Amino acid sequence: MKRLRLDRWTGQLLVARPGASSASTPRAALRSPAMCRCMTVRNQSTAASPQIPQEDDYYDGTDHSRFPPLEQLPPRATSLPSPPPERALQSAKLAALHARLSLPEKVPLQTLGRALVDASADDNPQYNNTNLAFVGHTLINYHVGEWLMCRYPRLPMEVLYAAMKGYAGPTALHHVARSWGVEHAAAPGGEVDPGLLQFSMHKPGEAVTVFGYKRAEYDGLRKHQWRHGISSRVVFDDDFGEIVQSEEEKDQMRARADTEYGNEYTRTLAEAAYATCARAVVGAIYAHTGREAAKAFIKAHILSRTLDLSRLFFFKKPTRELSLLCAREDFEPPVARLLSETGRMSRTPVFVVGIFSGKDKLGEAAAASLEHARAKAAMNALKSWYLYSPGEHVRVPSDMLSEDAQPWDPAYIDIGEIIGR
Amino acid sequence: MEAIAARPAFSCCRSAVAAGSASRRLLLNTSPASARQKSSTARTRKALNIPPHQSFLNFNGSDGATRPTSDQIIFNPPSSAPSVFHTPFKFLPPSDPRRRANLASELFASSAHNSPSSSSQPSSSTSEAAATPEELPLAGGVPPLKPRHHLSKEDIEEMRRLRAEDPVKNSVLNLSRQFQCSKLFVLMCCQAPKEHREKIQSQLEQVKNRWGPRRRAAREERQRRFAMLFSGEL
Repeated sequence: MKRLRLDRWTGQLLVARPGASSASTPRAALRSPAMCRCMTVRNQSTAASPQIPQEDDYYDGTDHSRFPPLEQLPPRATSLPSPPPERALQSAKLAALHARLSLPEKVPLQTLGRALVDASADDNPQYNNTNLAFVGHTLINYHVGEWLMCRYPRLPMEVLYAAMKGYAGPTALHHVARSWGVEHAAAPGGEVDPGLLQFSMHKPGEAVTVFGYKRAEYDGLRKHQWRHGISSRVVFDDDFGEIVQSEEEKDQMRARADTEYGNEYTRTLAEAAYATCARAVVGAIYAHTGREAAKAFIKAHILSRTLDLSRLFFFKKPTRELSLLCAREDFEPPVARLLSETGRMSRTPVFVVGIFSGKDKLGEAAAASLEHARAKAAMNALKSWYLYSPGEHVRVPSDMLSEDAQPWDPAYIDIGEIIGR
Repeated sequence: MEAIAARPAFSCCRSAVAAGSASRRLLLNTSPASARQKSSTARTRKALNIPPHQSFLNFNGSDGATRPTSDQIIFNPPSSAPSVFHTPFKFLPPSDPRRRANLASELFASSAHNSPSSSSQPSSSTSEAAATPEELPLAGGVPPLKPRHHLSKEDIEEMRRLRAEDPVKNSVLNLSRQFQCSKLFVLMCCQAPKEHREKIQSQLEQVKNRWGPRRRAAREERQRRFAMLFSGEL
């Protein structure tokens, strides 16, 4: 019977402990690699003598004879916060991502690798994706905004904000980046494959990609839920009509980030990192290949997504809003009429109600009661007013930037919403 | 190739429900417990004897053939609610090209408002019987009256005086009858004295306190259902 040696079972995992007892902080361990190595040798007590790596490299205590490195890292790679740019050329993942996105040859692998380094992983703006993401954020929001305004010129501002968020918000861009096959590393570092998205949960970075002002009444808005109208949102808040976070709240969030795991907040952080990566890729395309390629990329990857705008609406008094609309536009006052019905005295009746203005039918809906059918028909009529579209292939102002553009005919502009919210 | 398109219509909902119940009856009869009866057989045979859809009958140059002789696509989707992305003619702005293109068809469509396909089922719903929208029954709510603007400033002062004098006798309904205006207009013009409002409020509270759990839950549920309807969940 073979003798079991319990002290060897978890020797690989226990390596860090003796180092920590002698030198309590990682920085101290960095300063005295020799002592650390001696401790490791003693505790591991393997038969083969461990290879001593180069003197200037950080040695994390791994026994390289038993666990040889997968790839030859350049010197001091492990001490860097993110992989050095020259390693991007050797990464298979990065090349695969480049090919999968059909990026132009002008976009180098190094830039694509830089787009995958979040500001929380590397706070040096020359190596992280903050600047690229800023450009990408501006471009994406501009193109989505102009497209929505030209395609659906009557959208109320609240619905427009919601649609902006549905197309270009962090959740949507997170899904876009995931669909590209971007994966994230467990922890950032210089030894990580450059083809993996790198972000840190422990110190959320300072990726400044948001326009907006800090409101003077910020505390009241957060604590007492003060009303903030849509006009002030246009002026003060960010591109999605959301209040810009204050520094104190960000600090509180950062304090929470280190202590919590796997909740809504940490998911938000991961989502933001993915969204920043997607924006940075757009920024990289713009930086290397110019405006038209970036616009085509945004159209193919972001504007092509399906978003049902008719589900973004919320009404309070639809019948009143519709009669106000008809009064404003000089239509006959709307009248609800019963088109057909079934099972009025049964448990599950269906009433089909149409709303007529004069002889024209404005909306139609079916529901289980007459009041519900009437309200629903009024909502449908309002939605068909708000969701008017001049056409599927409507021209946008940025089309005029190409040289051989046809003369611009003015886009349809609506006079505004029916009732203020 | 040619395509035959049939507009999906809500108007067939009654006949659809009738067919559904007939098939349920048929299912019940297949169970071994209930023997096959003459009455039910005759009834189901009658109910299920539905002619094929018109789009399957009108083949080009068909000499009694039951199959299509030429290549054609029959697009006959099931009935569905109209999409809100189809803007009604009235909502199109004057600059829209569709307005000019559809103007003639809209002008002449009012006389033949209901297509002949729907009039082939005379008993299916109320919409076929009515030729114009004016003949359709109203679905709840009275159509709003056109404001007459016949009350002067003195009339409104008088209305306020009466309401303040005796809010019980000069109720909103009585005032609206007296001045021949809507109740909403009376409510917009004058306000009852404070003690009267408090009395009415306390009476309402007493009534609400007498409600049992069922009535209260039913009312709350109704409110919640309306909230869901307005946010598009129903």
